Amino acid sequence: MKLPLTHHRTVARLYFWLSLGSVILGVLLSLVMRFHLVYPSKAVGLFQLLWPRGAQGGVMTPELYLSLLTLHGTVMVFFVLTLAPMNAFGNLMLPRQLGAAHMAFPRLNLISFLITLVSFGLLLASVLTEDGGPLSGWTAYPPLSALGAIAGPGQGLGQTLWFFSIGVFCIGALLSSVNVVATVIEMRSPTMPLMAMPIASWNWFITAILSLLSFPVLLAAGMLILLDRLAGTSFFVPAGLMIADYKSPHMGGSPLLWQHLFWFFGHPEVYIAILPGMGIVTTVISAFSGRAIFGRRAMIFATIAIALLGMLVWGHHMFTSGLNPWSAIAFSILTLAIGVPSAVKTFNWLATLWLARGELRLTTPMLFAVGFVSIFVTGGLSGLFLGQPELDAYFHDTYFVVAHFHIIMGIAALFGIFAATFYWFPFLFGKVLNETLGKIHFYLTFVLAYATFLPMHFAGFAGTPRRYADFTSFDFLTPILPLQKGITHAAFALAAVQLLFIGNLIWTLWRGAAAAENPWQTNADNGEAY
Amino acid sequence: MPSLTQSNIGGPPPVHPELPPGGGGGDGDGGRGSGGGSTRAASMTAIIVVMCASFMTFGAFLSAMVIRRGLSNDWHKFALPRILWYNTIVLILSSIAIEAARRMLKRGRRSYFTPLWTIATVLGTLFLIGQFTAWNQLAAQGVFLVGNPSSAFFHVMTWAHAAHVVGALLAVIYVEFLALKYELGTRGRTWVDASSLFWHFLDVLWLGIMALFVFWA
Ligand code: HEM
Ligand SMILES: [Cu+2]
Repeated sequence: MKLPLTHHRTVARLYFWLSLGSVILGVLLSLVMRFHLVYPSKAVGLFQLLWPRGAQGGVMTPELYLSLLTLHGTVMVFFVLTLAPMNAFGNLMLPRQLGAAHMAFPRLNLISFLITLVSFGLLLASVLTEDGGPLSGWTAYPPLSALGAIAGPGQGLGQTLWFFSIGVFCIGALLSSVNVVATVIEMRSPTMPLMAMPIASWNWFITAILSLLSFPVLLAAGMLILLDRLAGTSFFVPAGLMIADYKSPHMGGSPLLWQHLFWFFGHPEVYIAILPGMGIVTTVISAFSGRAIFGRRAMIFATIAIALLGMLVWGHHMFTSGLNPWSAIAFSILTLAIGVPSAVKTFNWLATLWLARGELRLTTPMLFAVGFVSIFVTGGLSGLFLGQPELDAYFHDTYFVVAHFHIIMGIAALFGIFAATFYWFPFLFGKVLNETLGKIHFYLTFVLAYATFLPMHFAGFAGTPRRYADFTSFDFLTPILPLQKGITHAAFALAAVQLLFIGNLIWTLWRGAAAAENPWQTNADNGEAY
Repeated sequence: MPSLTQSNIGGPPPVHPELPPGGGGGDGDGGRGSGGGSTRAASMTAIIVVMCASFMTFGAFLSAMVIRRGLSNDWHKFALPRILWYNTIVLILSSIAIEAARRMLKRGRRSYFTPLWTIATVLGTLFLIGQFTAWNQLAAQGVFLVGNPSSAFFHVMTWAHAAHVVGALLAVIYVEFLALKYELGTRGRTWVDASSLFWHFLDVLWLGIMALFVFWA
């Protein structure tokens, strides 16, 4: 049976493929970056081939490194972590879990995807401009990002296109969130009260609300900074700024204003990336424990609490930028308070596992779900360090932060995506991924992910700054160069292991047998199993 | 490919099997024949959610404005052209007209609908023209987007508001067409309710912007 393009599963597949393409791009970029960090002066023919201007003679310029970093971060945060858990799997399962025939607005759903696709096109265009891609990272702090071509290669047209890409992305994300909220409120089966809604649906619902509250702020900030760039207003650029011999004509703007607006979006965004994963993990743990999740209501309220607190903690990204110490204390207390609902969730997962200890079935999705819990705890712990202004004064902009967010946002959210991919593959493509291959993939990924990101904490302790293109030319960093080389090797191995997954995917789609009835043999009455 | 039914993995969802699946769906396409009521409910929910998102956008502009003003000393108030007051009145009148049209339709007095809705459409268009005039008059006074943060925020907010008005006006004109062709079915009436609600929202939003620039900025 051929499904119409507006069918929620078709849209889910489209988002799935877009995210998959994005994650492959993001990983390849990260490998190039990791290589350059530890062998900055080695000439590589491939680099020259790919970037004739940025890597003349095969040696990368720092600017090229920064542009790759920006693309990596943007692609991963927006096109992988935002789209896959929420839009791909949300679209796939939400109507089904609610007992609805389809999303509230099937056509709008497809349109949201197309808008997102346009955004992706603009992002790619931003790196294909003559000067190369923008350099200012996924956070695009002004003044660097607000001044135009004078600020560096890629800061002209490339950065402008980048902002347009993000603006368009906001619109796509907003429309799809409107759809999710309308679907949850109006399309639920009449016999399903909100509190009876499956946890995964709850998490998609809360995530959509978070998107609706935070993406408009990014959109507004993006419009203001585009006016600074294109029309010459001064929202974000201070007076009297000098770059080499050039005096900027801007008057009286404030770079801190951007940080406030950006992080008002940015912190909720990290929860937009992780909350759907938490819902998926809850579903999978419940399914393979053969029992209802422990503390169902507490789970729901913890999600709501995380979302509420998550809206109030953006200042913890600005501890070192001259924030009033009193507000720093307030932001710090609120930040640490997020630990409480997070701990409730973790406790409920562990309790479910404990209560089912004899009957646990360690399938691939279950392994990824349990792996998620482990990784989430690790990443949450480093958050408790960063959430204290006195400690963040040292850790800010070091590899400690890089370790923190890769573990909690990168790896944890990816484990959620993997759990969903394996568990719901029968719904997505009507087949079951190979379990043996899946398990090998999981164990290797788990070990290598820790091997890659755990040592970054130590690099952070040693003071390694974030967003530097080269670790070899500073005396204070040379003692930990072997550590950095080890990280690079682990990263290459981690990426190589993902070929197992890609192979599994291609093989299953091409040759795999059709899924049997109830392929996971889950029991029907634990409420979260499907 | 096997049929992917609810029971394929892990059994049916916790919904009553005999009842039809919830909702009918909006978009105008899926809605027909599957319970117009739900289509309508979904559309009204959606428009309220959109209003919240718009509100957040303007909230972001507002907080940017507060911070920007607090952080620097280059803020200059400028005189608002008088036409903005006329525009305000025009917009309020259009809101009243659109509401009257909606209520008439609801009470079954269909013949009043089209003229009232037409008045609202014309007034809405007039508002946009008035806004253009206001920007031109400001430019003639030497008040532009660039130069002074107060006028910058004024332009940003009024442009963003006008962009919303353009969008809403397109919907209002679409309803106008439906009305003229006597095709205001269930779906058309949903459009009437949704677009008039959004129109009121834009009205209130405009009053907020006016108040902001009259009293504070
Ligand atoms: C108890 C939980 C958490 C605490 C206390 C916490 C605290 C922090 C703090 C204080 C920073 C700023 C560090 C700096 O820039 O100096 C930070 C950065 C970050 N956190 Fe967390 N965090 C927590 C959980 C999470 C979660 C669940 C995610 C994502 C799913 C996340 C993602 C990030 C990201 C992406 C950054 C870096 C942003 C950037 O500068 O590019 N954090 N965290
Ligand atoms: Cu944060």
